[in-house]
Amino acid sequence: MELVFALGLIAFKVALLIAILLLLPLPLTWLERKIAGHIQQRMGPMRVGWHGLLQPVADGIKLLTKEDHIPAEADRFLFKLAPILALAPPFVVFVAIPFGESVSVLGAEITLYVSNMNVALLFVFAVIGIEVYGVIFGGWAANSKYAVLGSLRTCAQMISYEIPMGFAVIGVVMLAQSMSLLEIVRAQADVWNIVYQPVGFFVFFVAGLAEAQRIPFDLAEAEGDLGAGFHTEYSGIRFAFFMVSEYAVMLLVSVLSVILFFGGWNGVLIPLPPLLWFALKVAFFLYVFMWFRFTFPRYRYDQLMAIGWKVLLPLSLGNIIITGVAFL
Amino acid sequence: MSRALDRSGAWIGWAFFADLAGALALTFGYMFSRSVTMQYPDKEKWLPYSRYRGHHFLTRDEEGEIKCVACELCARICPCDCIEVIPYEDEKGNRHPAKFEIDMARCLFCGLCEDACPADAIALGQEYEFSSFSSRDLVVGRDDLLGKPGKATTGGGVVAARLNTEQDVLVETSEPQGYNWWRNIRRT
Repeated sequence: MELVFALGLIAFKVALLIAILLLLPLPLTWLERKIAGHIQQRMGPMRVGWHGLLQPVADGIKLLTKEDHIPAEADRFLFKLAPILALAPPFVVFVAIPFGESVSVLGAEITLYVSNMNVALLFVFAVIGIEVYGVIFGGWAANSKYAVLGSLRTCAQMISYEIPMGFAVIGVVMLAQSMSLLEIVRAQADVWNIVYQPVGFFVFFVAGLAEAQRIPFDLAEAEGDLGAGFHTEYSGIRFAFFMVSEYAVMLLVSVLSVILFFGGWNGVLIPLPPLLWFALKVAFFLYVFMWFRFTFPRYRYDQLMAIGWKVLLPLSLGNIIITGVAFL
Repeated sequence: MSRALDRSGAWIGWAFFADLAGALALTFGYMFSRSVTMQYPDKEKWLPYSRYRGHHFLTRDEEGEIKCVACELCARICPCDCIEVIPYEDEKGNRHPAKFEIDMARCLFCGLCEDACPADAIALGQEYEFSSFSSRDLVVGRDDLLGKPGKATTGGGVVAARLNTEQDVLVETSEPQGYNWWRNIRRT
């Protein structure tokens, strides 16, 4: 009986997580277009629903009913596989992510995470590394020069930025003496990691921008020079898969920034429910992502590589050394 | 000394991304500035200034007679040759146009016909919503031109509007004077 209850609880949590992750891009696209509009002194969507709130629903219906086009010379198997490979890893990663300690519902303590792995951080980085396959396969299988260029760029970009990103969190792991995300948040109950690890956060966030392929590092889908980059040839529901994946990665980087550097659900000054604190911090980072997008131009490709290898990598290594020395 | 300080200050700014922070502050300011969007046609509409050059109209004098003397000066000066006038003489011996046609599809709204007219008969008015599915409908005859609205008396602003598509596509306004749209434009 207890086993059935536990399994049912896990199934419920996973279903809830999938539903939230699939539905969250709807308000996020609306928010992104509103922020874009207001930064450019426009209004953004205004016609569908109150202040265009139902615009993402209309767009979703449009995407679902559009022709799902596969180019004649495409590698059909990889072409169909790529959106799934891009979509699945960001979803899988959220299994390891805690959203809070626990809540009691009807007398039963329910934890706000699916699993508390002792190597959660390693798991996150390992799984998110798979996502690059979706992008590379998508660009390659489409058999189009823009898509191939986009996926080549993505390949180089993701691999070079995953290294400083991985190094940047080592400082956090050293402070918490654990790779479990739950332990990392508990270790920040008094002082957030950002106080001890400002350089680590800087490297992590910049690498996260590159990892989520957002401006100023969105060379993989640079609209200006590549059409739409790796998903140039995708349409309809497969394109929607890539978009959802992009927003899920954006959310993941925001959530990781909050958990690793901004104290997770630990609040300051104002006593709010922990889950609300967590949501507010994540929302702030999502806003920062969008704010950056409509402020900065795109980096040139050689600049991107130079930032990754000549600035972020030495900074993250130096951060590890200094943290280690301070520990001794 | 001071120059060296300036240079070191610039270096510190560069190292801490002062330029990027400045850009972020600028876009944040714009984010909370007023939007310049005019929600035409179903929420707002622009009222033209009195000097606006829109659809032509023909005027009548006090007796209700058409002012035009069919001198054809407007047809001569028109750079795109879109006015066609055929005169006739009435029983008192006054010249008037039997036919006065303007091809709005060719007109470039330069207003030279208005300047050339010796009788102040033709002018460019305030109407600007006359799109059509057929260029044939854009050839406007004498009687239609007599019924067109004249120069705007107030105008120069945005008023609340309502889109009416029951019979024809109409953008209705109720107020005579609107708010100054230019005040929303942020100049930095």
